[in-house]
This record gives sequence, C-alpha cells and structure tokens, in this order.
Amino acid sequence: MVAVTEMTNWAVDLIDVHKTYPRNIQALRGVNIQVGRGEIFGLLGPNGAGKTTLVKIMMTVVRPTRALGTILGRPIGHRGKLAATGYLPENHRFPGYLTGAQVLDHYAALAKVPRALRRKRAPELLEQVGMTKWSDTRVDKYSKGMLQRLGIAQALMNDPELIVLDEPTDGLDPVGRRDVRALLLNLRDQGKTIFLNSHLLSELEMVCDRVAILVNGLVARQGTLSELTEHTVETRITFCGDTASVEGDLKKIGVKLDGSMATVGGYSPEKVNKVIDVLRKEGLTIESVQPHRFSLEDILVEAMGHVPGADGRAGAKQV
Amino acid sequence: MQFLALMIDGFRESRDRKLFWVMLLMSLSVASAMFCVAFKPNGVDILFGTWQIETDVFTIGDEVRADIVATVLVEWIADTILGWIGVIIAIIATAGFFPTLMERGVVEVLLSKPMPRWGLFLAKYLGSMVFLLVHATIFVGSTFLVAGFRWGVWVPGYLLTIPLVVLLFSYLYCVSVLVAVYTRNAMAAVLLTLVAWTMFATVQSVDDMFVFMPEWKEYRTAYQASQTARWIVPKTQDIPILAKRWAKAAAAVELMPINEEVGHKMRDRAEAVERARMAIHPALTIGSSLLFEAFVVMLAMWKFSRKDY
Repeated sequence: MVAVTEMTNWAVDLIDVHKTYPRNIQALRGVNIQVGRGEIFGLLGPNGAGKTTLVKIMMTVVRPTRALGTILGRPIGHRGKLAATGYLPENHRFPGYLTGAQVLDHYAALAKVPRALRRKRAPELLEQVGMTKWSDTRVDKYSKGMLQRLGIAQALMNDPELIVLDEPTDGLDPVGRRDVRALLLNLRDQGKTIFLNSHLLSELEMVCDRVAILVNGLVARQGTLSELTEHTVETRITFCGDTASVEGDLKKIGVKLDGSMATVGGYSPEKVNKVIDVLRKEGLTIESVQPHRFSLEDILVEAMGHVPGADGRAGAKQV
Repeated sequence: MQFLALMIDGFRESRDRKLFWVMLLMSLSVASAMFCVAFKPNGVDILFGTWQIETDVFTIGDEVRADIVATVLVEWIADTILGWIGVIIAIIATAGFFPTLMERGVVEVLLSKPMPRWGLFLAKYLGSMVFLLVHATIFVGSTFLVAGFRWGVWVPGYLLTIPLVVLLFSYLYCVSVLVAVYTRNAMAAVLLTLVAWTMFATVQSVDDMFVFMPEWKEYRTAYQASQTARWIVPKTQDIPILAKRWAKAAAAVELMPINEEVGHKMRDRAEAVERARMAIHPALTIGSSLLFEAFVVMLAMWKFSRKDY
C-alpha cells in the first residue's frame, strides 16, 4: 500500500515503510528517512539490514507492504518523478550485445530523454566517466570497473534531480573511487540530490552530508555526521608508571582504565583535567592526550546493539 | 519513444543470437536453390543446364502452372521450412529473452524507468517477434522474387505468409513467455512450448477425424468436447490453410493422384476434410486463437507486474 502524505520540501521523505516478504520475512519494519534537496545522503547498515530493499522500493522495483511519503514531492512510483531520477543498482548488468554508447542511448530513451539530447549528453558523460575510447566497444568486453563507470553515466543521462546509487564504487580501483567522489561532489554543487547506499563506510564519511544507519529493518541513527559523532567523543590519555597508585582515584572520577590508558567517555574537558591532575600528583609521565571521534564504523557497531531484534547477526527478521 | 527503443532492442537481441545467422543462411540457401531451377517449355532445367528433366507439366497452361508454383511455394517451401523449422528455431532463439530480462541486475534498471510494467512487458513481447518477422520477410521475400523473376510466376498472395507465420509464432510464443515468467528457465520454456504446439495440433487433428469419419459423431460427448477444445486452443493448423488459400494454391487433394488401393471413398473423405478446412472463416479462426493468446499473455503479464525483483 502506498499512500500520499502532505507535500514536503524533502527530496526523499519516506515514512513508515514496511516490507514483508513471503514466509513472513520482515525486511523493513517502519523506516522513516528524510533527505534534503541538494545533499548527499548515505544509507549504511550491515548485510541484510534492508538497505537494498529500501532503495528498490524507492525505484519501484520492489512493492512495499506499506509506505507513506514522497520522492521529489510526489508519491513513490510517480512516473514524472521517476523520469527525473537516475538509478544505478548494485551488480547491474547491461545487455552484452550493446556498445557503451548504445547502452546510454537505449536507457535514456526508456527514461523519455529526447533523441537530440541523448546524442548530446552521451559523449559528454562518457568523457566525464573516462569511457570515451570504449564507447563503441561491446559491453560484454568491459571489465567490472568499466561497467560501473558506464552505469554511473547511465544514471545521469536524464539529467536527474535525484540520483540513487547502490554501491557506486564497487569494482573501482582507488583512482576510480576518487573520480566518483569528485563527480558526486560536483553533482551536489550543481544542486542534485544524491542518495548513496554503500557498505564502504570510509567512502560515505568522505562525501555524505547526512547518513542513516539501517539495522534489522529499522533506522537506528539518522543525522549529519557531526550530529552522530558529537555525543560519542572520548579522550584517551596514555601514561607510564605505576598504574596501581592511581587506579582508585581514577575510578572515583568515572574513568575507564585499560593498562596504562585512561579513557574519558563523552566530551568533558573538566574530567580530562582531573585525570591529568591525579596522574601528575602521583608523578606519572603523561605520554599523550588524544580526543577520539568515533568513526562511522564505531557508530554502526554501536547502533547495532540498540535496535530491537538486532542480536548482532545480520539478516532480515523472521516473525 | 520507449516502445520504439524496446523494439530496436528486440532486433539487436535477436541479431546477437547465433540462430539468427543460421536462419538467414537457411533462407538464402533456399532462395539460391530455387534460383538454380528453371522451368522451360520442354521440362525443368537444374543448375543452369547441368541437368535437364523432360516433362510436359509446364505446357498445360499458365493458370495451372501458377497453381503449381503457388503450391510449391506455400506448401512445400514456406510451410515446411519456415512454418516448421523456422518457427522451432525462433522458439529456441527467443526463449531466453524473458528469463534474461528478469535476471538480477538487468530488471532493476528497466523497472526504474518511467514506464508501466505492463508497457515494458508488452513492448518486450512484441519486440521478441522481430526475430521471426525479419526472417519471414527475408525468406518469403527472396523466394517470392525468385519465383517471379526466375520462374515467371508472380504470387502476390504468397506475401501474406509473412504475417501468418508471425501469427503462428505468436500463438506459441505466448506459452513460452508464460513458462519463462513463472520459471525463469529458457529450457523449460522451449520444451513446454513444443508440448503445447503438439497439443494444439492434436486437438485440431482429432476434430478433423470427425469430418473424415462422420460416423464417429454418434459419440456425442466426445464430439462436443472435441468441438469445444478446438475453439479454445490456438488453431495452428489453420495457418498453412489460410496461407494456401490466400496464395491461391491448389488444394493438396487436387494434386493427389487417385490410388486404387486408397480408393475413391477415401479420397472423397480427404476432400471433405480439405473442404472443411478451406471453409474456415479467417476472422473466426484468427480471432479465437488471439483470444487464447491474449488470455495467456495477460496471465504472464500479471505475474511479471506483481513480482518483486
């Protein structure tokens, strides 16, 4: 069931998305995600969290059991808005009998891009993804990385407002990944909205404005990277000397002691100063004081422990 | 625009199959073989004078000669080579089209385009017929031209064999697509389509038996069941009859010499079957067959449209 909510200014506004597959396998259990216009949004989560199902629901490849919300201000599946969306699925395959240029022309025609525009855009995009010299080669001769580049070009042929990319850097070498990151940032600067689904957290960290962490069919965390990391800062203080002499005092302050490293949880300069005072009082040598921001990986692992039904194992929930 | 793109894709996909080239070779071989045969007043010349068969068959008048040529074209060449071998090759070559379309990584990009699923399905379905349409055109076109220029007999009605063969293929292809959508297996699609073809032909043959042996009509239940079944299934055996009628070819029975062993009675009965077949109304036979095809296509389309990929 897909219902319409009131018109919003979000590029993607998904509300209460459920998907139950046959044999009562719950892939999504009420997902709410909002993506602002002109931002790069990252969707991450462990395998089997429901990320690809969610992307496929957005692109009408999978039918939701229940879904409210809009994409580009219209209900999910609105044909006009699908024409304004570019999509690169995970592990995509193009017909091997087509050349790179023919792939772009064929899929753009299906996206209702006028012929004249197709002829103009295809060489430009092939140039942009570094595939110009392979444009007349059959796709079945392409490597995985070349297919990925072509797939990205295909997703951009209709000059979309919203670009949905599922594992866009899969199969690319480091230079290719850097090129894709640069392309994404360039597209954002042009005002495009980009919805990224990737398991490469470091990639997401480098380009995303906001992220959502999907665990076991539910959104565990959602926000900007700084919002997600501000409450999870810790400070690690390493020292040398007799640990036993300070153990009692440090525990009183509420500091975690691991060998010769004291960890102060959260953002608390006062606590850090108190720890330094205790260490100095006992004549211990302080080697380093390092504030430590959690990476996306730390947040993901932490989020997995907070979702009902997430027992640390990946996979859709069967009820 | 979307429909045209999928039709062009249908042609490209057909062209990519090795069987496409096998069939092209077959068509050109048949046309070349025909070109090597010439009808002269005193007989038949083969391979530009290499062999000559003396006969007076072709001195019996232009009308009879045209009848014979039309019969050779429709019944011997088009029906046997295109209507049997060609259709079987087309069934094998196109059986993988839908399973490939529905593979992971392929279907997602297509379904994300602003096109209803039923539209995508129908365009792909019709696009798949391009395979046989191209070959039927080449085969019939080339043999038509050879018959005209080399044999001096122009049979315009023979050109209608092109849509008729495509129609015959469509009766069978709908079964192939239905099986493919449910099983995603090209081999299963080929096998079950051939089984269905045999079944359709059997249903019509059983019904013909009631004309050949009118005394069997006393078994009313069997007769009525046969009549009903005939109108439900696609009438694949009516296609060559329509082709023959429209090409104004002589009936096979007319060309059959009276054999004392077979006897006049058997010939009379064979004529009755032939008359019954030739009396079929084109709109009725094609219309009822298309109804079956539409039903099967709707079933396949429903499954295709409701599926999660």
